[in-house]
Amino acid sequence: MKKLAIGLYVALTVVLMVWGFYQAIYVAPDEQTMHEVQRIFYYHVPSRWSPSSSSPSRWPAPSDTSPSAATATPGRRSQTPGALRRRGGRGLLHGRAHHRPAVGTPRLGHLVDLGRPPDHHPCPLAHLRQLPFAAPLAAGPQVQTLAAVLGIFGALDVPIVYMSNRWWRTQHPAPVFGGGPDSGIKDPRMLHAFGWNVLAWLAWGVLILALRYHVERQHQKLAAHEAQQALDA
Amino acid sequence: MDQSALLDHQFTVAAYAVTWAIQLGYVAWLGFKWRAQKRSASRTARNPR
Repeated sequence: MKKLAIGLYVALTVVLMVWGFYQAIYVAPDEQTMHEVQRIFYYHVPSRWSPSSSSPSRWPAPSDTSPSAATATPGRRSQTPGALRRRGGRGLLHGRAHHRPAVGTPRLGHLVDLGRPPDHHPCPLAHLRQLPFAAPLAAGPQVQTLAAVLGIFGALDVPIVYMSNRWWRTQHPAPVFGGGPDSGIKDPRMLHAFGWNVLAWLAWGVLILALRYHVERQHQKLAAHEAQQALDA
Repeated sequence: MDQSALLDHQFTVAAYAVTWAIQLGYVAWLGFKWRAQKRSASRTARNPR
């Protein structure tokens, strides 16, 4: 029964994803100023909202197998360097693709180069969160402190990022939500495409969260079992 | 199709492809972790210290 429910949920998520893709690419009308490249919006925003609402879905499995990990709280964030690195950069990639084209900007290079200086980004501070990932970090209390600092910075970063395309008007499109009388999605077909993708990405986020949680719990149980065996030996 | 429209199209395709490459890559990585843990668990069960 449990397997059937999981299978049905996975199937529902896949159907939602396919439907959301169809709505975004084939049903939503062409936007008048940005044309086809605006369709990135239907993925860019929902796929960022989804991890924000279920952020543990982006937590990578820990790579350490120390006994202390066995006693960690379920769902606790992994503090490994790889974890820190992976937590930061995801989602920026297609976000950069959403920037308006500008003369002299190497667009594809802008898409893929995360280490690039923030010369074209509306919020230069947003790139500061990449700095800790560049340095090799040793596991231990230092990493935990850095992870805590990074967490605080991430929380502070949220309103800055939200306001960045108002404060720094560069290539990023003007705000769609809460941007004044001319903002918002006017065409209902666009709104439907956006809504379906929000739903689909939320379903996907919950699915990844469940998978991630399962892997983490399995890891903790295994580490606890091994630690107990070592104590008993 | 003019140069700008072509670039827009390629850019959109790249954005969607990169998004899915990241998502599916993460799922695959979790799957590998899961499989490795299952193997490790069965090995521990077979060879208790």
